[in-house]
Amino acid sequence: MALIEVQDLRYRYPDQQGLALDGISFSVEPGEFVGIIGPNRAGKSTLCQALVGLVPHFYKGAIGGRVVADGLDVHKHPVAEVARRVGLVFQNPFTQISGAKFTVYEEVAFGLENAGVPREEMIPRIEEALRLLGLEELKDRSPFALSGGQMQRLAIASVLAMRPKVLVLDEPTSQLDPEGTGEVFAAMAALCRQGMAVVVAEHKVERLAPLAGKILVLHAGRRVAFDSPRRVFAREDLPALGVAVPPVTEAARRLGWRFEDGTYPVTTEEAEELARKNLVAAGGGGGGRG
Amino acid sequence: MQLSLYVPGKTWVHRLDPITKLLAVLVAVVLTFVLPGFFSQAGILLVSLAMLGSAGVLRRAAPVLAGVFILPLTFFVVQGLVYPGNVHPAVALGPVVFYREGLLLGLSLTLRLYNILSAALILVLVTRPSDLVEALVRRGAPPRLGYVMIAVLQIIPIMVASTQTILDAQRSRGMETEGSLWVRIRAFLPLMGPLVTNSLISTEERALALEVRGFAGGGKRTFLKDEQIPPYAMAMRILVLAALVLGIGGRWLWGWR
Repeated sequence: MALIEVQDLRYRYPDQQGLALDGISFSVEPGEFVGIIGPNRAGKSTLCQALVGLVPHFYKGAIGGRVVADGLDVHKHPVAEVARRVGLVFQNPFTQISGAKFTVYEEVAFGLENAGVPREEMIPRIEEALRLLGLEELKDRSPFALSGGQMQRLAIASVLAMRPKVLVLDEPTSQLDPEGTGEVFAAMAALCRQGMAVVVAEHKVERLAPLAGKILVLHAGRRVAFDSPRRVFAREDLPALGVAVPPVTEAARRLGWRFEDGTYPVTTEEAEELARKNLVAAGGGGGGRG
Repeated sequence: MQLSLYVPGKTWVHRLDPITKLLAVLVAVVLTFVLPGFFSQAGILLVSLAMLGSAGVLRRAAPVLAGVFILPLTFFVVQGLVYPGNVHPAVALGPVVFYREGLLLGLSLTLRLYNILSAALILVLVTRPSDLVEALVRRGAPPRLGYVMIAVLQIIPIMVASTQTILDAQRSRGMETEGSLWVRIRAFLPLMGPLVTNSLISTEERALALEVRGFAGGGKRTFLKDEQIPPYAMAMRILVLAALVLGIGGRWLWGWR
Protein backbone atom coordinates (compact mmCIF):
# COMPACT_ATOMS: atom_id res chain seq x y z
CA MET A 1 0.00 0.00 0.00
CA ALA A 2 1.22 3.47 -0.81
CA LEU A 3 2.51 5.57 2.11
CA ILE A 4 1.10 8.72 0.63
CA GLU A 5 -1.86 8.71 -1.67
CA VAL A 6 -2.96 12.01 -3.17
CA GLN A 7 -6.15 11.93 -5.24
CA ASP A 8 -7.44 14.82 -7.30
CA LEU A 9 -6.26 17.38 -4.74
CA ARG A 10 -7.64 20.87 -5.30
CA TYR A 11 -6.97 23.81 -3.02
CA ARG A 12 -7.64 27.52 -2.99
CA TYR A 13 -6.08 29.88 -0.44
CA PRO A 14 -8.55 32.12 1.40
CA ASP A 15 -9.18 35.45 -0.36
CA GLN A 16 -7.66 34.25 -3.61
CA GLN A 17 -9.24 33.58 -6.96
CA GLY A 18 -7.24 30.85 -8.68
CA LEU A 19 -6.57 27.34 -7.48
CA ALA A 20 -3.14 26.86 -5.90
CA LEU A 21 -3.43 23.12 -6.51
CA ASP A 22 -5.61 21.88 -9.32
CA GLY A 23 -6.38 18.20 -9.53
CA ILE A 24 -3.07 16.75 -8.31
CA SER A 25 -2.79 12.96 -8.01
CA PHE A 26 0.27 10.91 -7.18
CA SER A 27 1.48 8.39 -4.66
CA VAL A 28 4.65 7.64 -2.74
CA GLU A 29 5.67 4.07 -1.97
CA PRO A 30 7.76 3.07 1.06
CA GLY A 31 11.46 3.77 0.53
CA GLU A 32 10.82 5.84 -2.58
CA PHE A 33 12.57 9.15 -3.35
CA VAL A 34 10.24 11.58 -5.09
CA GLY A 35 11.37 14.98 -6.35
CA ILE A 36 8.89 17.81 -6.93
CA ILE A 37 9.99 20.40 -9.46
CA GLY A 38 8.40 23.33 -11.19
CA PRO A 39 8.77 27.08 -11.59
CA ASN A 40 8.10 29.48 -8.70
CA ARG A 41 4.44 29.64 -7.70
CA ALA A 42 3.76 26.29 -9.32
CA GLY A 43 2.38 24.99 -6.02
CA LYS A 44 5.39 23.05 -4.73
CA SER A 45 5.31 24.48 -1.20
CA THR A 46 1.54 24.28 -1.04
CA LEU A 47 1.67 20.62 -2.02
CA CYS A 48 4.36 19.87 0.58
CA GLN A 49 2.26 21.54 3.24
CA ALA A 50 -0.83 19.67 2.08
CA LEU A 51 0.93 16.38 2.79
CA VAL A 52 1.02 17.12 6.54
CA GLY A 53 -2.28 18.97 6.68
CA LEU A 54 -0.98 22.53 7.20
CA VAL A 55 -3.02 23.00 4.05
CA PRO A 56 -5.91 23.30 4.87
CA HIS A 57 -5.79 23.18 8.70
CA PHE A 58 -3.38 26.08 9.27
CA TYR A 59 -4.24 28.29 6.31
CA LYS A 60 -7.97 27.40 6.02
CA GLY A 61 -9.26 28.00 2.48
CA ALA A 62 -11.20 25.58 0.27
CA ILE A 63 -9.99 22.03 -0.26
CA GLY A 64 -11.15 19.14 -2.41
CA GLY A 65 -9.88 15.64 -3.12
CA ARG A 66 -8.10 13.33 -0.73
CA VAL A 67 -4.70 13.04 0.94
CA VAL A 68 -4.07 9.79 2.79
CA ALA A 69 -0.80 9.51 4.70
CA ASP A 70 0.03 6.08 6.12
CA GLY A 71 -3.65 5.21 6.25
CA LEU A 72 -4.67 8.49 7.89
CA ASP A 73 -7.04 10.89 6.13
CA VAL A 74 -5.04 14.11 6.45
CA HIS A 75 -8.06 16.39 6.04
CA LYS A 76 -9.84 14.78 8.97
CA HIS A 77 -6.96 14.70 11.47
CA PRO A 78 -5.08 17.49 13.25
CA VAL A 79 -1.58 18.43 12.07
CA ALA A 80 0.01 17.21 15.31
CA GLU A 81 -1.27 13.70 14.60
CA VAL A 82 -0.32 13.63 10.92
CA ALA A 83 3.11 15.05 11.79
CA ARG A 84 4.01 11.82 13.58
CA ARG A 85 3.68 9.98 10.27
CA VAL A 86 4.82 12.66 7.86
CA GLY A 87 7.74 14.88 8.84
CA LEU A 88 8.02 18.27 7.15
CA VAL A 89 11.21 20.30 6.80
CA PHE A 90 10.93 23.92 5.57
CA GLN A 91 13.07 26.24 3.45
CA ASN A 92 14.42 28.53 6.09
CA PRO A 93 16.62 26.68 8.56
CA PHE A 94 16.56 29.64 10.89
CA THR A 95 12.83 29.86 11.60
CA GLN A 96 12.56 26.12 12.18
CA ILE A 97 14.59 26.36 15.36
CA SER A 98 12.00 26.40 18.12
CA GLY A 99 13.77 29.06 20.19
CA ALA A 100 12.63 27.26 23.31
CA LYS A 101 15.76 25.15 23.67
CA PHE A 102 19.36 25.98 24.43
CA THR A 103 21.26 23.05 22.92
CA VAL A 104 21.06 20.99 19.74
CA TYR A 105 20.26 17.91 21.83
CA GLU A 106 17.32 19.61 23.57
CA GLU A 107 16.10 21.04 20.27
CA VAL A 108 15.73 17.52 18.84
CA ALA A 109 13.80 16.58 21.99
CA PHE A 110 11.26 19.39 21.51
CA GLY A 111 8.89 17.51 19.21
CA LEU A 112 9.15 14.37 21.33
CA GLU A 113 8.22 16.29 24.47
CA ASN A 114 5.18 17.69 22.70
CA ALA A 115 4.18 14.23 21.51
CA GLY A 116 4.46 12.88 25.05
CA VAL A 117 7.13 10.30 24.23
CA PRO A 118 8.39 8.72 27.48
CA ARG A 119 11.82 9.88 28.60
CA GLU A 120 13.52 6.46 28.29
CA GLU A 121 12.43 6.24 24.68
CA MET A 122 13.38 9.83 23.89
CA ILE A 123 17.10 9.44 24.49
CA PRO A 124 17.79 6.61 22.00
CA ARG A 125 15.63 8.38 19.41
CA ILE A 126 17.50 11.66 19.80
CA GLU A 127 20.86 9.95 19.63
CA GLU A 128 19.88 8.02 16.54
CA ALA A 129 18.63 11.17 14.79
CA LEU A 130 21.81 13.07 15.68
CA ARG A 131 23.94 10.20 14.42
CA LEU A 132 22.06 9.88 11.12
CA LEU A 133 22.54 13.58 10.43
CA GLY A 134 26.13 13.67 11.68
CA LEU A 135 25.39 16.13 14.48
CA GLU A 136 26.73 14.21 17.48
CA GLU A 137 29.69 16.50 17.93
CA LEU A 138 27.48 19.58 17.96
CA LYS A 139 24.96 18.28 20.46
CA ASP A 140 25.86 20.73 23.23
CA ARG A 141 26.07 23.79 20.97
CA SER A 142 23.37 26.45 20.87
CA PRO A 143 21.09 25.79 17.86
CA PHE A 144 21.52 29.41 16.79
CA ALA A 145 25.31 29.07 16.73
CA LEU A 146 25.24 26.58 13.83
CA SER A 147 25.96 27.21 10.14
CA GLY A 148 23.05 27.15 7.70
CA GLY A 149 23.75 23.60 6.55
CA GLN A 150 24.16 22.37 10.13
CA MET A 151 20.96 24.15 11.15
CA GLN A 152 19.05 22.55 8.29
CA ARG A 153 20.43 19.14 9.26
CA LEU A 154 19.27 19.88 12.81
CA ALA A 155 15.79 20.65 11.46
CA ILE A 156 15.82 17.30 9.65
CA ALA A 157 17.07 15.50 12.77
CA SER A 158 14.34 17.13 14.86
CA VAL A 159 11.68 15.88 12.45
CA LEU A 160 13.35 12.49 12.10
CA ALA A 161 13.33 11.88 15.85
CA MET A 162 9.53 11.82 15.60
CA ARG A 163 10.06 8.64 13.52
CA PRO A 164 7.85 9.58 10.58
CA LYS A 165 7.23 7.15 7.75
CA VAL A 166 7.82 9.83 5.14
CA LEU A 167 10.09 12.85 5.17
CA VAL A 168 8.83 15.83 3.15
CA LEU A 169 11.29 18.64 2.48
CA ASP A 170 10.21 21.96 0.97
CA GLU A 171 13.20 23.46 -0.87
CA PRO A 172 15.51 22.56 2.00
CA THR A 173 18.62 23.95 0.33
CA SER A 174 17.32 27.16 -1.21
CA GLN A 175 18.96 29.31 1.46
CA LEU A 176 22.17 27.31 1.76
CA ASP A 177 25.61 27.63 0.18
CA PRO A 178 26.98 24.77 -1.96
CA GLU A 179 28.59 23.15 1.05
CA GLY A 180 25.36 23.21 3.07
CA THR A 181 23.44 21.99 0.01
CA GLY A 182 25.83 19.07 -0.31
CA GLU A 183 25.38 18.20 3.38
CA VAL A 184 21.60 18.19 3.10
CA PHE A 185 21.51 16.14 -0.13
CA ALA A 186 23.92 13.61 1.37
CA ALA A 187 21.66 13.35 4.41
CA MET A 188 18.54 12.83 2.27
CA ALA A 189 20.31 10.17 0.19
CA ALA A 190 21.48 8.35 3.33
CA LEU A 191 18.00 8.37 4.85
CA CYS A 192 16.46 7.04 1.66
CA ARG A 193 19.05 4.23 1.50
CA GLN A 194 17.92 3.23 4.99
CA GLY A 195 14.36 2.81 3.78
CA MET A 196 12.83 6.20 4.57
CA ALA A 197 10.47 7.54 1.91
CA VAL A 198 11.62 11.04 0.93
CA VAL A 199 9.61 13.70 -0.92
CA VAL A 200 11.55 16.84 -1.76
CA ALA A 201 10.59 20.01 -3.60
CA GLU A 202 13.76 21.39 -5.12
CA HIS A 203 15.07 23.68 -7.86
CA LYS A 204 18.48 22.05 -8.08
CA VAL A 205 17.46 19.43 -10.67
CA GLU A 206 21.03 18.26 -11.32
CA ARG A 207 21.28 17.21 -7.67
CA LEU A 208 17.81 15.69 -7.67
CA ALA A 209 18.17 13.63 -10.84
CA PRO A 210 20.68 11.05 -9.53
CA LEU A 211 18.68 10.45 -6.33
CA ALA A 212 15.03 10.58 -7.32
CA GLY A 213 13.14 7.46 -8.32
CA LYS A 214 10.34 9.62 -9.61
CA ILE A 215 9.88 13.28 -10.39
CA LEU A 216 6.63 15.19 -10.15
CA VAL A 217 6.50 18.25 -12.38
CA LEU A 218 4.08 20.98 -11.36
CA HIS A 219 3.01 24.01 -13.33
CA ALA A 220 0.36 26.51 -12.24
CA GLY A 221 -0.97 24.07 -9.67
CA ARG A 222 -1.37 21.25 -12.19
CA ARG A 223 0.53 18.02 -12.55
CA VAL A 224 2.52 18.07 -15.80
CA ALA A 225 4.34 14.78 -15.33
CA PHE A 226 5.03 12.11 -12.74
CA ASP A 227 7.64 9.69 -13.98
CA SER A 228 11.26 8.57 -13.77
CA PRO A 229 13.84 11.38 -14.09
CA ARG A 230 14.99 10.14 -17.51
CA ARG A 231 11.49 10.18 -18.95
CA VAL A 232 10.58 13.48 -17.29
CA PHE A 233 13.68 15.30 -18.51
CA ALA A 234 13.24 13.89 -22.01
CA ARG A 235 10.06 15.91 -22.38
CA GLU A 236 10.28 18.66 -24.98
CA ASP A 237 7.89 21.02 -23.21
CA LEU A 238 9.90 21.66 -20.02
CA PRO A 239 11.80 24.82 -21.10
CA ALA A 240 8.55 26.41 -22.25
CA LEU A 241 7.05 25.72 -18.81
CA GLY A 242 10.04 27.31 -17.09
CA VAL A 243 11.21 24.00 -15.63
CA ALA A 244 14.97 23.59 -15.38
CA VAL A 245 16.67 20.54 -16.89
CA PRO A 246 20.00 19.16 -15.62
CA PRO A 247 22.87 20.73 -17.64
CA VAL A 248 24.14 17.28 -18.63
CA THR A 249 20.73 16.40 -20.10
CA GLU A 250 20.63 19.68 -22.01
CA ALA A 251 24.12 19.03 -23.38
CA ALA A 252 23.19 15.47 -24.39
CA ARG A 253 20.09 16.75 -26.14
CA ARG A 254 22.14 19.21 -28.19
CA LEU A 255 24.65 16.52 -29.03
CA GLY A 256 21.88 14.06 -29.85
CA TRP A 257 23.15 11.49 -27.33
CA ARG A 258 20.05 9.35 -26.72
CA PHE A 259 19.41 6.04 -25.09
CA GLU A 260 17.51 3.49 -27.17
CA ASP A 261 14.24 4.40 -25.45
CA GLY A 262 14.61 7.98 -26.66
CA THR A 263 15.56 9.46 -23.27
CA TYR A 264 18.67 11.46 -22.49
CA PRO A 265 21.16 10.89 -19.67
CA VAL A 266 20.32 12.84 -16.50
CA THR A 267 23.54 12.27 -14.57
CA THR A 268 27.19 12.55 -15.51
CA GLU A 269 27.61 8.80 -14.94
CA GLU A 270 24.85 8.00 -17.40
CA ALA A 271 26.29 10.45 -19.91
CA GLU A 272 29.72 8.90 -19.58
CA GLU A 273 28.33 5.41 -20.05
CA LEU A 274 26.37 6.50 -23.11
CA ALA A 275 29.33 8.35 -24.57
CA ARG A 276 31.57 5.28 -24.23
CA LYS A 277 28.92 3.13 -25.86
CA ASN A 278 28.56 5.63 -28.73
CA LEU A 279 32.30 5.69 -29.20
CA VAL A 280 32.46 1.89 -29.31
CA ALA A 281 29.61 1.85 -31.82
CA ALA A 282 31.48 4.42 -33.93
CA GLY A 283 34.18 1.80 -34.35
CA GLY A 284 37.19 1.16 -32.17
CA GLY A 285 36.62 4.21 -29.99
CA GLY A 286 38.55 7.44 -29.84
CA GLY A 287 41.11 5.92 -27.48
CA GLY A 288 43.42 4.76 -30.20
CA ARG A 289 43.98 8.13 -31.66
CA GLY A 290 46.81 9.67 -29.61
CA MET B 1 24.30 38.77 23.34
CA GLN B 2 22.87 37.45 26.56
CA LEU B 3 19.54 38.64 27.90
CA SER B 4 19.32 36.52 30.99
CA LEU B 5 21.39 37.53 34.02
CA TYR B 6 21.76 33.91 35.14
CA VAL B 7 25.20 33.07 36.50
CA PRO B 8 25.89 29.34 36.03
CA GLY B 9 27.20 27.47 39.03
CA LYS B 10 27.00 24.31 41.09
CA THR B 11 26.44 25.66 44.61
CA TRP B 12 23.66 24.37 46.86
CA VAL B 13 21.54 27.37 45.91
CA HIS B 14 21.95 26.56 42.22
CA ARG B 15 20.99 22.96 42.81
CA LEU B 16 17.90 23.92 44.78
CA ASP B 17 14.92 23.34 42.49
CA PRO B 18 13.24 26.42 41.02
CA ILE B 19 9.96 25.84 42.85
CA THR B 20 11.64 25.87 46.26
CA LYS B 21 13.50 29.02 45.31
CA LEU B 22 10.32 30.63 44.04
CA LEU B 23 8.61 29.72 47.31
CA ALA B 24 11.46 31.13 49.39
CA VAL B 25 11.45 34.36 47.42
CA LEU B 26 7.68 34.79 47.75
CA VAL B 27 7.84 34.14 51.50
CA ALA B 28 10.67 36.64 51.90
CA VAL B 29 8.63 39.29 50.06
CA VAL B 30 5.48 38.57 52.09
CA LEU B 31 7.38 38.54 55.39
CA THR B 32 8.99 41.87 54.72
CA PHE B 33 5.50 43.37 54.68
CA VAL B 34 4.19 41.26 57.56
CA LEU B 35 6.98 41.59 60.09
CA PRO B 36 7.24 44.80 62.07
CA GLY B 37 10.48 46.33 63.31
CA PHE B 38 13.89 46.86 61.83
CA PHE B 39 15.56 43.81 63.25
CA SER B 40 13.26 41.31 61.56
CA GLN B 41 13.60 43.23 58.29
CA ALA B 42 17.35 43.32 58.59
CA GLY B 43 17.25 39.61 59.43
CA ILE B 44 15.44 38.74 56.19
CA LEU B 45 17.88 40.89 54.26
CA LEU B 46 20.80 39.08 55.88
CA VAL B 47 19.36 35.68 54.96
CA SER B 48 18.87 36.75 51.35
CA LEU B 49 22.35 38.24 51.12
CA ALA B 50 23.80 35.12 52.73
CA MET B 51 22.11 32.99 50.06
CA LEU B 52 23.42 35.25 47.30
CA GLY B 53 26.84 35.04 48.94
CA SER B 54 26.92 31.27 49.19
CA ALA B 55 25.76 31.05 45.58
CA GLY B 56 28.80 33.14 44.70
CA VAL B 57 26.86 35.92 42.98
CA LEU B 58 27.19 38.73 45.54
CA ARG B 59 29.60 40.47 43.18
CA ARG B 60 26.99 40.41 40.41
CA ALA B 61 24.24 41.51 42.80
CA ALA B 62 26.21 44.44 44.23
CA PRO B 63 25.89 46.77 41.21
CA VAL B 64 22.13 46.16 41.09
CA LEU B 65 21.75 46.86 44.78
CA ALA B 66 23.98 49.92 44.58
CA GLY B 67 22.29 51.12 41.41
CA VAL B 68 18.91 51.65 43.04
CA PHE B 69 20.26 53.71 45.97
CA ILE B 70 18.64 56.80 44.46
CA LEU B 71 15.22 55.45 45.48
CA PRO B 72 16.03 55.09 49.22
CA LEU B 73 17.61 58.52 49.02
CA THR B 74 14.27 59.99 48.00
CA PHE B 75 12.54 57.96 50.76
CA PHE B 76 14.75 59.59 53.40
CA VAL B 77 14.47 63.10 51.99
CA VAL B 78 10.73 63.07 51.34
CA GLN B 79 9.66 61.18 54.47
CA GLY B 80 12.19 62.99 56.68
CA LEU B 81 10.83 66.34 55.57
CA VAL B 82 7.11 65.90 55.09
CA TYR B 83 5.90 62.66 56.73
CA PRO B 84 2.63 63.66 58.51
CA GLY B 85 3.71 61.90 61.72
CA ASN B 86 6.90 63.98 62.01
CA VAL B 87 7.29 65.35 65.59
CA HIS B 88 10.88 65.15 66.78
CA PRO B 89 13.48 67.08 64.79
CA ALA B 90 16.59 64.96 64.21
CA VAL B 91 18.94 66.84 61.89
CA ALA B 92 18.79 70.43 60.81
CA LEU B 93 20.62 71.62 57.71
CA GLY B 94 20.09 75.36 57.93
CA PRO B 95 16.38 75.99 57.46
CA VAL B 96 15.75 72.36 56.33
CA VAL B 97 14.74 70.10 59.22
CA PHE B 98 14.65 66.30 58.99
CA TYR B 99 12.39 64.58 61.50
CA ARG B 100 13.13 61.36 63.36
CA GLU B 101 9.82 59.62 62.57
CA GLY B 102 10.14 60.28 58.85
CA LEU B 103 13.75 59.10 58.72
CA LEU B 104 12.81 55.89 60.52
CA LEU B 105 9.97 55.31 58.07
CA GLY B 106 12.48 55.92 55.26
CA LEU B 107 14.77 53.31 56.79
CA SER B 108 11.96 50.78 57.00
CA LEU B 109 10.94 51.43 53.36
CA THR B 110 14.56 51.09 52.32
CA LEU B 111 14.89 47.74 54.07
CA ARG B 112 11.73 46.54 52.37
CA LEU B 113 12.96 47.62 48.97
CA TYR B 114 16.28 45.85 49.43
CA ASN B 115 14.53 42.77 50.79
CA ILE B 116 12.38 42.46 47.69
CA LEU B 117 15.30 43.19 45.42
CA SER B 118 17.76 40.73 46.96
CA ALA B 119 15.14 38.00 47.18
CA ALA B 120 14.28 38.52 43.52
CA LEU B 121 17.98 38.42 42.64
CA ILE B 122 18.19 34.88 44.03
CA LEU B 123 15.68 33.91 41.37
CA VAL B 124 17.20 36.03 38.62
CA LEU B 125 20.90 35.33 39.15
CA VAL B 126 20.88 31.76 40.46
CA THR B 127 17.98 30.16 38.56
CA ARG B 128 18.23 29.24 34.89
CA PRO B 129 15.12 30.84 33.33
CA SER B 130 14.30 27.76 31.28
CA ASP B 131 14.44 25.58 34.41
CA LEU B 132 11.99 27.85 36.19
CA VAL B 133 9.60 27.87 33.23
CA GLU B 134 9.88 24.11 32.79
CA ALA B 135 9.18 23.54 36.48
CA LEU B 136 6.06 25.68 36.15
CA VAL B 137 4.88 23.93 32.96
CA ARG B 138 5.36 20.57 34.68
CA ARG B 139 2.97 21.78 37.34
CA GLY B 140 0.28 22.75 34.89
CA ALA B 141 1.26 26.22 33.64
CA PRO B 142 0.19 26.59 29.98
CA PRO B 143 3.02 25.44 27.63
CA ARG B 144 2.27 28.34 25.28
CA LEU B 145 3.01 30.83 28.03
CA GLY B 146 6.16 28.94 28.92
CA TYR B 147 7.24 28.96 25.27
CA VAL B 148 6.79 32.71 24.98
CA MET B 149 8.79 33.36 28.14
CA ILE B 150 11.72 31.26 26.95
CA ALA B 151 11.64 32.10 23.26
CA VAL B 152 11.70 35.83 23.97
CA LEU B 153 15.07 35.40 25.65
CA GLN B 154 16.49 33.78 22.51
CA ILE B 155 14.64 35.65 19.81
CA ILE B 156 15.27 39.20 20.99
CA PRO B 157 19.04 38.88 20.47
CA ILE B 158 18.31 37.57 16.97
CA MET B 159 16.11 40.57 16.24
CA VAL B 160 18.90 42.82 17.46
CA ALA B 161 21.27 41.08 15.06
CA SER B 162 18.87 41.44 12.14
CA THR B 163 18.43 45.13 13.01
CA GLN B 164 22.17 45.49 12.65
CA THR B 165 22.11 43.76 9.26
CA ILE B 166 19.36 46.07 7.99
CA LEU B 167 21.21 49.12 9.31
CA ASP B 168 24.43 47.99 7.63
CA ALA B 169 22.60 47.42 4.36
CA GLN B 170 21.03 50.88 4.53
CA ARG B 171 24.33 52.49 5.46
CA SER B 172 26.10 50.80 2.59
CA ARG B 173 23.64 52.47 0.24
CA GLY B 174 24.45 55.87 1.65
CA MET B 175 21.82 56.39 4.31
CA GLU B 176 22.94 58.39 7.30
CA THR B 177 22.28 56.42 10.44
CA GLU B 178 24.77 57.96 12.82
CA GLY B 179 25.32 61.47 14.04
CA SER B 180 23.00 63.90 15.76
CA LEU B 181 19.84 62.87 17.52
CA TRP B 182 17.77 64.17 14.59
CA VAL B 183 19.68 62.03 12.08
CA ARG B 184 19.16 58.97 14.26
CA ILE B 185 15.45 59.63 14.60
CA ARG B 186 15.15 60.00 10.83
CA ALA B 187 17.02 56.70 10.35
CA PHE B 188 14.59 54.94 12.68
CA LEU B 189 11.53 54.94 10.41
CA PRO B 190 13.07 53.25 7.36
CA LEU B 191 14.46 50.64 9.74
CA MET B 192 11.05 49.70 11.09
CA GLY B 193 9.60 48.61 7.73
CA PRO B 194 11.99 45.75 6.97
CA LEU B 195 12.36 44.82 10.62
CA VAL B 196 8.62 44.46 11.21
CA THR B 197 8.04 42.69 7.87
CA ASN B 198 10.89 40.29 8.59
CA SER B 199 9.57 39.56 12.05
CA LEU B 200 6.06 38.91 10.79
CA ILE B 201 7.33 36.51 8.12
CA SER B 202 9.54 34.65 10.57
CA THR B 203 6.70 34.47 13.05
CA GLU B 204 4.47 32.74 10.52
CA GLU B 205 7.25 30.39 9.48
CA ARG B 206 8.06 29.57 13.07
CA ALA B 207 4.38 28.96 13.83
CA LEU B 208 4.28 26.43 10.97
CA ALA B 209 7.45 24.75 12.20
CA LEU B 210 6.06 24.51 15.74
CA GLU B 211 2.84 23.09 14.35
CA VAL B 212 4.55 20.19 12.55
CA ARG B 213 6.46 19.38 15.70
CA GLY B 214 3.22 18.85 17.52
CA PHE B 215 3.37 21.94 19.71
CA ALA B 216 -0.36 22.61 19.37
CA GLY B 217 -1.27 19.01 20.17
CA GLY B 218 -3.16 19.01 23.42
CA GLY B 219 -1.97 15.61 24.64
CA LYS B 220 0.15 14.84 27.66
CA ARG B 221 3.68 16.20 27.41
CA THR B 222 6.86 14.63 28.64
CA PHE B 223 10.20 16.21 29.49
CA LEU B 224 13.69 15.35 28.36
CA LYS B 225 15.22 16.36 31.65
CA ASP B 226 14.32 14.65 34.85
CA GLU B 227 13.42 17.12 37.52
CA GLN B 228 16.29 17.29 40.00
CA ILE B 229 15.10 18.02 43.51
CA PRO B 230 17.91 17.75 46.06
CA PRO B 231 17.02 16.04 49.35
CA TYR B 232 17.47 19.27 51.32
CA ALA B 233 14.86 21.05 49.19
CA MET B 234 12.03 19.55 51.27
CA ALA B 235 13.66 20.72 54.50
CA MET B 236 14.08 24.13 52.94
CA ARG B 237 10.43 24.29 51.91
CA ILE B 238 9.28 23.30 55.39
CA LEU B 239 11.61 25.86 56.97
CA VAL B 240 10.38 28.60 54.67
CA LEU B 241 6.71 27.79 55.26
CA ALA B 242 7.32 27.59 59.03
CA ALA B 243 8.88 31.05 58.88
CA LEU B 244 5.81 32.31 57.04
CA VAL B 245 3.39 30.80 59.56
CA LEU B 246 5.46 32.06 62.47
CA GLY B 247 5.64 35.55 60.97
CA ILE B 248 1.91 35.77 60.28
CA GLY B 249 1.05 34.24 63.66
CA GLY B 250 3.47 36.52 65.45
CA ARG B 251 2.07 39.58 63.81
CA TRP B 252 -1.65 38.90 64.22
CA LEU B 253 -1.98 36.28 66.98
CA TRP B 254 0.70 37.27 69.43
CA GLY B 255 0.76 40.93 68.53
CA TRP B 256 4.45 41.46 67.73
CA ARG B 257 5.15 45.11 67.20
